[in-house]
Amino acid sequence: MKSKILVSLAVAGALVMAGCSDSNAPSDNQSGSDKVVVGFSVYDMQYEFFQKMEKGTREAATAKGWEFKLHDEKSDENEMVTGAQALIDQGVDVLIISPFKPSALGPIIAKAKAKGVPVIVDDIGGGGAPYDAIVISDNAGGGKLAAEYMAKQIAANGKTSKNVASITCEPSAVYAARRNAGFKAEIEKQGFKVVAELSGNSKAEEGYKVMKDILAKNPDVAGVFSCNDPMGVAAANAVKDAGKDPVKDIVTVGFNADPEAITAIKANGLAATVAQDPAAMGALTVKLADQALAKTPLTFDNAAEREVYNPVQLISKENVDTVK
Amino acid sequence: MKTSTSLGSLWDTWGITAILVLLLAVAPVLTPDFFSLDNAQSVLRESAYLGIVAAGMTFAIASGAFDLSVGGQLALCSVVSLIGFAAGGTALAIVAAVATGLACGLINASLITRLSVPPFVATLGTLFVFRGVSYILTQDGPKTLPYDQIGSPFVKIGGLNVAGVPVPFVIMLGVFAAAWLLLRRTATGRRVLAYGSSPEAAKFCGISPTRLRFFVFALVGVSVGIATLTYITRVWTADGSAQDGFELKVIAAVVLGGTSLKGGKATLIGTFSAVLLISVLNDMLVSEGVPSAYQRIVLGGVLIIALTIDGLRTRFAAPGSLRRAVSGLGVRTPQPGSVR
Repeated sequence: MKSKILVSLAVAGALVMAGCSDSNAPSDNQSGSDKVVVGFSVYDMQYEFFQKMEKGTREAATAKGWEFKLHDEKSDENEMVTGAQALIDQGVDVLIISPFKPSALGPIIAKAKAKGVPVIVDDIGGGGAPYDAIVISDNAGGGKLAAEYMAKQIAANGKTSKNVASITCEPSAVYAARRNAGFKAEIEKQGFKVVAELSGNSKAEEGYKVMKDILAKNPDVAGVFSCNDPMGVAAANAVKDAGKDPVKDIVTVGFNADPEAITAIKANGLAATVAQDPAAMGALTVKLADQALAKTPLTFDNAAEREVYNPVQLISKENVDTVK
Repeated sequence: MKTSTSLGSLWDTWGITAILVLLLAVAPVLTPDFFSLDNAQSVLRESAYLGIVAAGMTFAIASGAFDLSVGGQLALCSVVSLIGFAAGGTALAIVAAVATGLACGLINASLITRLSVPPFVATLGTLFVFRGVSYILTQDGPKTLPYDQIGSPFVKIGGLNVAGVPVPFVIMLGVFAAAWLLLRRTATGRRVLAYGSSPEAAKFCGISPTRLRFFVFALVGVSVGIATLTYITRVWTADGSAQDGFELKVIAAVVLGGTSLKGGKATLIGTFSAVLLISVLNDMLVSEGVPSAYQRIVLGGVLIIALTIDGLRTRFAAPGSLRRAVSGLGVRTPQPGSVR
């Protein structure tokens, strides 16, 4: 029996080692003084969006000759705090973080400040903490692109109605609200009127219901913009269920370039969406990290919140095939 | 108490501790900066909230029951504590956390004793209820410790060290010491083990099932309340989704430690070592950049192997030469379940 226990122990030990077997390969922790070490704590590597962001960040960092350390928050605020603080403990020179819970940035930034490590936040939100900079997609710019496209497409459709609608996310989604604001500013400049602006709380089923209401009260709307794709596709379905075409009759535009939206655009089930570029966002955080390390003053698009915007791209039938 | 011991009971109490020592021995080889002050502090700080709840859960499992609601309790205690901090500072935050934990425990005990709902089902139900209430309280966004409160005593609980030892770990040590005294040196502790061993026999001995249930579940609730103090002051934020799946981590730690799911047997030393083992493993896997999928597989594998050993032991633990051989060494260990 003793031998059985010993065998089991050995297996346990072997398992533990197997889990760590590739440990000695890339880690040169004591890599010396001159090489910059950047830590990147990522929201969750399960999601394609963050895989692209990680790739963009890593490639930009290694292109600078930096050492790159990755930490996966696994969609857990406890892991986010522990792991990001561990990166700081391991002596990173600069920390880049896409926070699972922006409100948990406080203890991380407190530790970074104590050690003089600059923190660049990538997307999601800053949680009111004193980070050095935050990179977000140009949401207002994306709304503007959507409005420009919509105006053009309405003209191409030969519609004379100057009425359009706007479906918003939940009121607490501050960045998302900028999409509708950017859309409204541009579409009004083009001579249109936003006759309905309603919240679908980011949800497909509510987006569908809201669009039904809009169609009932304003049957002459020539276009509708939604602040995300689940609602955009749902609104397009409501348009179709009302016997109209979401491209030719009521120009329906979403936001985010979700796979469902790409599929819908290819099948003429949605007119357009706006794509964020997580890889470019990652590269931009590295550029800002470099400037922060060199103590170069950063230039912000919104200085009050230390925000730096990353450009977005309009995706319609014309260029949908370029989307991977 | 018997003076002799079997290899089996030796394993019960010290087996996981031995594995922990083994792991600590290889840790610096695999992770060169494992024993750096920063990293060691981080592991201890991180282990506290799991450990404190696992100490309470050891009593529940020893009494033959689970508390599946501890994840929901932790979320609710955290949210209420943060509301308390906003309203009345450090003192109210601490009182709110512990009082909420106690209230949760009493609700569980009431459902189990007054409405005769089995503990498994009752606490599964309240897991959802407690999380639901936490979600309602955080409808306008997660509750947060504001950054400008960084100097307040409450925030410091999570980050401060006493002679290099993180305060959360000091609290955990205190909780385990108190729990050990309660389990081993009081009649209440013996009643918990007796009840877990055989509820029927315990009833004949005059142990009130109702009072015992109330004691055990209130104890778990209070342990969650205390754990909240070490959790929320590290993470600074909570909503209904906080620590999803926490209950299973806690139960895994207790079982890994050697406390029997059948009840009647408890080892707080085992629980303590198992919690540290999980934290050390997690730290090593994370700092070596092992992908999260493999981290889960390793932790699950360790749990299965530990229970396999336990199963082998139970099957082969008949009186025999090995038992005599070890007892011949004069090794004395506390006898778990000796009250039987």
